[in-house]
Amino acid sequence: MVIKPLREVEPLERGRIVKVGGRKGIRRRLLDMGVVVGAEVEVQRVAPLGDPLEIRIKGYNLALRLEEADNIQIEIFEGKL
Amino acid sequence: MDNEQIIRTKDGSLAHLRTIHGDDAETLIANARYGFISGLIKDVLKKPAVEKTTATDRIDRLMLNRWLGIPLFMAILYGVFQFTFIVSEPFMDWIDTGFGWLSEQASGISPSWLGSLVADGIIGGVGAVLVFVPIIFLLYIALSILEDSGYLARAAFIMDRLMHRIGLHGRSFVSLMLGFGCSIPAIMSSRTIENPKDRLVTILVTPLISCGGRLPIYALFAAAFFTAHQGLVVFSMYAIGVILAILLAWVFRKKLVPGESGHFVMELPPYRLPTIVGVVAHMWERGWSFLSRAGTIIFSAVVLIWLLNYFNVLEHIGRAVAPVFIPAGFGQWQAAVALIFGVLAKETVVGTFGTLFAGAEAAGGFGQVISAELGWTPLIAFAFMAMVLLYIPCVATLGIVKRETNSFKWTWFTIIYTLVLGWTVATLIYQIGSLFV
Repeated sequence: MVIKPLREVEPLERGRIVKVGGRKGIRRRLLDMGVVVGAEVEVQRVAPLGDPLEIRIKGYNLALRLEEADNIQIEIFEGKL
Repeated sequence: MDNEQIIRTKDGSLAHLRTIHGDDAETLIANARYGFISGLIKDVLKKPAVEKTTATDRIDRLMLNRWLGIPLFMAILYGVFQFTFIVSEPFMDWIDTGFGWLSEQASGISPSWLGSLVADGIIGGVGAVLVFVPIIFLLYIALSILEDSGYLARAAFIMDRLMHRIGLHGRSFVSLMLGFGCSIPAIMSSRTIENPKDRLVTILVTPLISCGGRLPIYALFAAAFFTAHQGLVVFSMYAIGVILAILLAWVFRKKLVPGESGHFVMELPPYRLPTIVGVVAHMWERGWSFLSRAGTIIFSAVVLIWLLNYFNVLEHIGRAVAPVFIPAGFGQWQAAVALIFGVLAKETVVGTFGTLFAGAEAAGGFGQVISAELGWTPLIAFAFMAMVLLYIPCVATLGIVKRETNSFKWTWFTIIYTLVLGWTVATLIYQIGSLFV
């Protein structure tokens, strides 16, 4: 079982959120947007300038910066992409 | 229960929750809410095991591509302006011819002062502004399409890194983009920026983004002085505005309101085909304010200008202010008058020249008349265009800056810094340009 911060998840890798941390403001914002423990996540792409990230979660696409992605821990699904 | 009791009970419950679940209330509420939702969805919705690739995915694979994303973004911006100018040209010619004919009819009215008021003052001044209605409407169509299709959110995504580096937010970029249409909705849209400092700086620099009202001035002078490179000259005005907005945002964010910038956690909505009804409604809503200004503010301004000119007062006002602009090359009283009235609405600058140089069309075109009467060169015209771009925003914009910042201090700050900036840039263009030309 591999757990790593969302920042290090490669595009098209999928996983499940195991922890949402960070300071009050950012954590609340993430929770509001459906970034909660147990949600499945697939990294879609990185913006042309290298930041932010685009992820697919709960059936929609969400953009967030790498520094915000550091607050999220992902358990990577093994096997096929 | 009194207040203290309520707070004590609340703190007690929070501590209780924390000991049981090891999480704070916010997380628990969010988890419970999404737990309920996913449970409900499991009961009522059947989803295919593998999500299908949507059209949005395919479009974004191109639009947000690592290498193509930025060039495509630039190309879209450039395409918007090309579309606006090329498509509007025949319409502008028709309107221009129409007003020329009207003016000819009106000049026959007696007594002669009334004929001059109607032909030179009203038709010359308001007509000079109304000629640009097709450009304004087409620009608004293009911006509505970008907005309604969902591309503006992608623009925020692409530009956030850059905006973050200068201390702002990707959303600030969307506000600035809307500023190409009109500063007023752009400043209002800054409400979507959560961090107050990000928002204040966005409001302060938005007026530097060239709005639709300034386009008639560029179009007029570019056609008069830069026949071969009109598109490039107009585009450079937009570029100057964007570059200075970014530069000053960085300075303001560092020196005036230092501190951390807000988060960027934003939905990228699916692309939608804009509906014709939606786009036309948007266009009309924004275009109407331009039309109604032509009927009210600009109409009153050109009548006032004609009256002041008729009684030889205008020249005195202009001459009192004009010396300030000698270092920038346009130290003529007519230019000073145009700039003074331009604060009412920037397109009034065009109306003022239209009134002051009525009959320019007959005398061989606007460019010849201005270069003959004022001795303007293309360099001076360029410096003047930069001045119009940057100096004091129109009164309607200042009103919205006051409302959104809720502060006279920041409103005055906007007036003063834009005036100093405009004068400085125009002077630099003229002085440095003079070394080469």
